[in-house]
Amino acid sequence: MQANRGKVLTGVLAAAMTFSFVLSGCGNSGSNEGNANNQGSTNEATNNGNAGEKPAEKVTIEFWAQKFEDTTDAWFKKWTDEFNKSQDNVQVKLTIVPGDAWTQKLKAAQAAGKAPDVMTRNYSGIAPGAKNGEIMALNDYMDPAVFDDLYDNVKEFITVDGKYYAYPKLVEPSAVLYYRKDLFEAAGLDPEKPPVTWAEFIEYGKKLTQKGIFGASIAQTAPDLGWSSWGLQYNAAGHLPITDDWSKADVMDDKYKELLNFYATLYKEGIIPKQQLSAYADAAPFGQGKLAMTVSGSWSIGLFRNDYKDMLDKIGVAPMPSIDGDQTKPTATLGGWTLVIDGKSKKPEAAAQYIQYLLAGDPAIMIDFFKTSQFSKFSPRKSVDEAMNQDPAASADEWRKLIAEKVIPYAKAEPAYPWDISIAFATAIESAMKGESVDKALATAEKTINDFIAKSKLAGTNPQ
Amino acid sequence: MNLKEQTVKTIMYVIGILIAVVALFPLAWMVIAGFKEKTEVLATPFRFFPEKWQFANYSEILADPMFSKSMAVTFAGAVIFAALSLIINSMAAYVFARLEFRFKRTLWVFVICTMFIPGMAILLTSFIVVTEMKMLDTMAVLILPGVASAGHMFFIRQFYLNIPLALEEAALIDGANRWKIFTSIFFPMSYPVFVIVGIGSYLGYWNSFVWPTMTITNPDLFQIMQFLNTFRSERSTELGLLMAGSTLAAIPTIILFLVFQKYIIKGIKISGLK
Amino acid sequence: MKKKNMRLDNLTAYTMLIPIVVLLTIFVIIPFVYALIVSFYDWSFYQESKFVGWQNFVNVLNDPLFMKAVVTGLKFSLFVVPAQMILAFLFAHVIRSMGSKLSGFVKTSIYIPTIISGIIASIIFVFIFDYNAGLANVIVNWFGVENQAWLADVKTALPSIALPAIWLGFGITSLIMLAGLLDIPDSYYEAADLEGAGPWTKMIHITIPLLKNVVLYLLITGFTGAIQQFELSLVMTGGGPLNETTTPNLYIFNHFRNDVLVGHSIASALLLFVVLGSISAIIFKVLNSEKAVDG
Repeated sequence: MQANRGKVLTGVLAAAMTFSFVLSGCGNSGSNEGNANNQGSTNEATNNGNAGEKPAEKVTIEFWAQKFEDTTDAWFKKWTDEFNKSQDNVQVKLTIVPGDAWTQKLKAAQAAGKAPDVMTRNYSGIAPGAKNGEIMALNDYMDPAVFDDLYDNVKEFITVDGKYYAYPKLVEPSAVLYYRKDLFEAAGLDPEKPPVTWAEFIEYGKKLTQKGIFGASIAQTAPDLGWSSWGLQYNAAGHLPITDDWSKADVMDDKYKELLNFYATLYKEGIIPKQQLSAYADAAPFGQGKLAMTVSGSWSIGLFRNDYKDMLDKIGVAPMPSIDGDQTKPTATLGGWTLVIDGKSKKPEAAAQYIQYLLAGDPAIMIDFFKTSQFSKFSPRKSVDEAMNQDPAASADEWRKLIAEKVIPYAKAEPAYPWDISIAFATAIESAMKGESVDKALATAEKTINDFIAKSKLAGTNPQ
Repeated sequence: MNLKEQTVKTIMYVIGILIAVVALFPLAWMVIAGFKEKTEVLATPFRFFPEKWQFANYSEILADPMFSKSMAVTFAGAVIFAALSLIINSMAAYVFARLEFRFKRTLWVFVICTMFIPGMAILLTSFIVVTEMKMLDTMAVLILPGVASAGHMFFIRQFYLNIPLALEEAALIDGANRWKIFTSIFFPMSYPVFVIVGIGSYLGYWNSFVWPTMTITNPDLFQIMQFLNTFRSERSTELGLLMAGSTLAAIPTIILFLVFQKYIIKGIKISGLK
Repeated sequence: MKKKNMRLDNLTAYTMLIPIVVLLTIFVIIPFVYALIVSFYDWSFYQESKFVGWQNFVNVLNDPLFMKAVVTGLKFSLFVVPAQMILAFLFAHVIRSMGSKLSGFVKTSIYIPTIISGIIASIIFVFIFDYNAGLANVIVNWFGVENQAWLADVKTALPSIALPAIWLGFGITSLIMLAGLLDIPDSYYEAADLEGAGPWTKMIHITIPLLKNVVLYLLITGFTGAIQQFELSLVMTGGGPLNETTTPNLYIFNHFRNDVLVGHSIASALLLFVVLGSISAIIFKVLNSEKAVDG
């Protein structure tokens, strides 16, 4: 029954696709020109035989980019145009999809078999996506050399079962401490000595809290905590709240109690606002002077430099404080974005050609991106960093240097397990903040995670 | 007695005006916040009026081609949607109210059952249907799926049931056919219920955002709530601009409502909800 | 309706019914049947789907968050519907006893919020409930109460979302209530006056019984509308804090967005449909039978 239904649907879909394929002029011919590989392995590529008879038609590929800062959108547009102009075979149709709409749009498109050929994806989505076939391995379509240019740790992020499933665009640590030097001074604190332990962070936060200005801000709702606290979970306990083989929860750790207490103290003491002023990723309230310290990702540097220029002199940047002051422990995960090819894409060669041009080609393209992002994001490619070090603006940037030297080397990869696990632990943190006892909060998280593992047969499925 | 009546009346006046003020306050605040600097919208201490009235937000949002385009596209869509909704649903309402035909009961049950199917349950599968029909990124995907409505049909039918049979019997004797009776007797008499169903359809279209968000990718066809919600999440610091945009997005519906206001209450009265 | 006229109008009837039947079939029935089928599968978009029988439904029913969402939906309706009804009832009375001069303005200002979209209302009320500078905190400060975390506190979040819902629905509720009220002949009240009945007696013996159907209708539509609400929590709180404002539809929507396999989301939507569907069916039955008597 099910197989029938599946077949009928596939049949209709296939018919529809064939139809549109015919309409668009059997477009794939010649797409491999200028590309390092010429696999001829997919059905479409066999159309190449026709190329001699008819003038080559352009292949159009769909590219959905999640909406980021305006500067990033502009960069995508600019270089996609350049790519389209640079050759005659592939036409990329770029669509910027708003962040709010992304998940539901993509889900719907995938359900209908209409996902874009190329799309942005974050690191934590790569392993699960590779596992269930949502995205395609790139090994067959891209020059192997471009992967050698990647830093080893980043290469791991995109590798599943020995194959590369994405090409990374950037890395950005999820947690960096920003603080106001002028307010530190006013409160009798040394502006060159930001807090390094959680206890200090709390203590300074108390001193810095005054009417109209909160001492600090950090993620405080479960959806934000879900990803932004990964680094601190590593920091506290040295592991994530699930065993490495994903067979059961690993929540009952005294260090996690300290982690929950850290958040709960910040909340209960009124150091952070009782209701968030903005989401974790958006550091605007700090730029507007409503906070003395804020924890946010490295991307916020871009926001400050673009939108709050008169604040810049007063802002200090430091690694996120650690549980015991040891700043070689991870405090952040390395988030970031990659481009991937949809598992059902009919034009993987053309798609790969575009990805290679944009992310893995001329370092100048990527340097242009890091410049427009005000060096708030970091390159996964050695060659880009080398070229960038020649650039006076980049090499003189103290903040960039600090993050590159003191945060990134210790940062961990984002976990690949389903979001349900992250949100279960984040819910424990939030409930501790809202007055639940730490033990009970963790016990609930443990049960939720174990239930989820059983329900979705997660044990032993860790792809990495 | 006279004095007492007077007092009661005065108290009612005061209460009435109070309620009106409270009800209008959030909107007034939105309109006025549109005249504020972005930092002033949420400034402490709270101020209702701006320090300095400035029109930059309104002029900027009006100058945004995306905004005006989505207003125009949404308006056009909403008008077509409302018109089609009236035609399609009133025809069915008339048929079920007056005509006798085979399988009437079956068809009636079929149509009414759809009223109870929640949109959320069929969100994804509807998407697959419209995708297979190649309707993505067209106005059709916004208009067709919701235009036939058992609820609206039922509402109009209630109204038709209350129209005296005598009117059409004369026409029937004169040899008019059923279609003629519908167009020349029922249709013209329907304006009170049409105002309600029309405005309801219009509002449903104008205010929807989950469906447009899923089905519309082409910025040229962005619907206004889709635009606003995107704007809200992405330019979260531009508060004044957001308020100005929200104000302007609400204006067409408010005007429409004011124009038809007096018919609305009449429509509700006549449509048999008593 | 008397079946006096037994002439069958098959052709006309079918022709006029074609649009509605075709559209409903394509856009409601087919997706619904499709949804029913996939709710029994581990529906994956990239791999062969697996038949899992009732597993999705069992999972949903075993999910404490689903039960919590249903309870949240019920609580939310309890905040919204009675408040709306009582306010509308009082307001309709106020309007009725006001002179027509001013009542036009007052009526209009009450109705306008009805046509505002959930998105715009959410935007406005997020600002009203802002922690630092929102109007709600300004007002409680007047009474010497310190700033409240309206949308982040487990105790206040749901009522804070109910407020815009009441605001949005209040207008149309009063409008319908007023229409019902104006339908009651003045002579009833005059007769009661002659017998020396006070305002309470009049309300209990005349107004309320005669408004029965209107109230019933409003209860049903109000309830089904409120329990299906999700735009407000989506925009204002995202369902937090701690899922306190995750209404059933938001629960479904979140699963749809986050799950790799959407069977769970569809199964929960169908389960909710059973609950809502039965409620609306009952209401409909009642309304329809009244009509049949009238007609």
